[in-house]
Amino acid sequence: MKELAKSGAIDADLAAAFDASPNPYMLLTPDLRYAGMNQAYLAALEVSREDLLGKPIFDVFDAGPGDEGRSNARQLRASFERVLKDNRRDHLALIRYAVPRRAANGERVLEERFWSATHTPIHDADGRIAYILQHTTDITELEQLRRRVAGVDRKRALDSILSGNVLQRAEHVQQANRQLETERNRLLEMFMQAPGFVAVLSGPDHVFQMHNAAYSQLIGHRPITGKPVREALPEVEGQGFIAFLDSVYATGEPHEGRASRVELQRAPNAPLETVWLDFIFQPIRDDSGSVIGMFVQGHDVTGTVHAAERQKLMIDELNHRVKNTLATVQSIAMQTARSHTDPRGFAESFQARLLALSHTHDLLTRSHWEGASLRAILEHETEAHGPHRISLNGPPVALEPSPALSFGMIFHELATNAAKYGALSVPEGQVLVDWAVSDLKKPMLHLSWRERGGPPAAAPTRKGFGSRLIERNVRHDLSGAVELDYAVAGFSAEFSVPLDRGRVA
Amino acid sequence: MSEALAGRRILVVEDESLVAMLLETILEDMGCTAVGPAATVDDGLALATDGERLDAALLDVNVAGRQVFPVAEALHRSGVPFVFSTGYGEGGLPDQWRGHPTIQKPFTEAAVRDALMKAMGVENV
Repeated sequence: MKELAKSGAIDADLAAAFDASPNPYMLLTPDLRYAGMNQAYLAALEVSREDLLGKPIFDVFDAGPGDEGRSNARQLRASFERVLKDNRRDHLALIRYAVPRRAANGERVLEERFWSATHTPIHDADGRIAYILQHTTDITELEQLRRRVAGVDRKRALDSILSGNVLQRAEHVQQANRQLETERNRLLEMFMQAPGFVAVLSGPDHVFQMHNAAYSQLIGHRPITGKPVREALPEVEGQGFIAFLDSVYATGEPHEGRASRVELQRAPNAPLETVWLDFIFQPIRDDSGSVIGMFVQGHDVTGTVHAAERQKLMIDELNHRVKNTLATVQSIAMQTARSHTDPRGFAESFQARLLALSHTHDLLTRSHWEGASLRAILEHETEAHGPHRISLNGPPVALEPSPALSFGMIFHELATNAAKYGALSVPEGQVLVDWAVSDLKKPMLHLSWRERGGPPAAAPTRKGFGSRLIERNVRHDLSGAVELDYAVAGFSAEFSVPLDRGRVA
Repeated sequence: MSEALAGRRILVVEDESLVAMLLETILEDMGCTAVGPAATVDDGLALATDGERLDAALLDVNVAGRQVFPVAEALHRSGVPFVFSTGYGEGGLPDQWRGHPTIQKPFTEAAVRDALMKAMGVENV
């Protein structure tokens, strides 16, 4: 170094610092002869400067005997050649190189050492390579420690390292990074495509950092990124959500909402819409554990909430109908009991009326309780008396469930009466049922029930339940009118019933 | 049987004729006169406000798809006691009328009588 300094190749102060460095350094000429070295290098090799200066490195430094020594020397030479050829710094991550040492008994012996070396080209004023600077670090202890820990076969471990293991590792790291990147993108994609809504808020004002498509859809695709919640979604102010966000931010305790009602603007200028949400606000913490933001996720359960409401309504309505039907049956039982003194007669009449009610229910069930046709009800209540005994003549008339049930009971009473006292009580008797609908604006059903060929009809001395039921049902339930006529030629009934009574107003 | 209600005029609002007939029978057995029965809220309102004397009323909550509460309010204004009848159970009444004497369908004669007497403040003798 002093020689170099003297020749003016390097600054004298720098040369002194170089010489004093605890790291071994040496300089080679391009023909690989020693041009200089520092004290640490000389100390490491236990030689004097004079032993080395001007000599080819591989003359004094043969890396030991045998194939292994030659192979290691080749590795070192290859690195120097790369520097000279590519004019670039070259690294040897690990090289085994035996060096001569003076043993305790004074003999010089070769001692195996492991080195990590960097070879740097040093240029002259014309840009040509003047020297190669070698900086070596003795890593023998590190390598021995590594081998002890790994417990691997010496040769194989060394070979694997020397045959580019470092590069492979670098490649592994690079590959792992690529995988992480792919993984990150996949997670981000899952986040963006998640069926539930997801958003990340940052800071005490809950500024939207990112949000997915479902979140965007929830809030009517408004631009919200970079805005505080209060500003991005002004309508939620006063609905309690900002207070929950503040509380999670302050306490770090997550907040969960189940079927929470929120009024949201789902489209520009549209009125607020009520939606029901399941959601959770989870704190996001930094390395020190402080809350720095919020992870918002959840889903729209409006459909479920509405379904539950509909179900409750339906159960209430079902209960109402069942209780009403039970009250109707109770009434039939009580009224039937009053017109029968013997239990057998009561049971027969009661069962027949119950079945008439049940038949109409069957008809309505078939149409999912949308209604039933007048003809179907008539056929149902009269078929037991034979199809040729009863003539049905009229246009199709659709009846809603409530009037259908009324007509079912009315026709049952008429047919029962005809079978007991009227035209159907004799083989040649007949019943003619004719109907028509007048005034299509306010449709009115006109229906006549005429009995022919039976015994002469006579007005009852005391009105039975059957005729009271008919009269009351027509007037009360159907808002119509009925005339019962007990003529000598046979019983007849004339009905006038409005078809759109508008009772459900 | 108690004769406490004999001679009373009781308005009946009930859309189903068979149920109305049952109530009429029960009322007649108690010596009462059934007024109506009204099949709609409008008919019920007309009978509640036509000036005829009414001692009490039996009001079906759901009358042909409408709620009977306008009739209840009219009766309440003129100081006529009344009883609700419902198939909806306890939850069927709005807050305004919760706790009001109510009979559940189907009903017994005793339930009708007890509810009427409770609404009218008549002691059972």
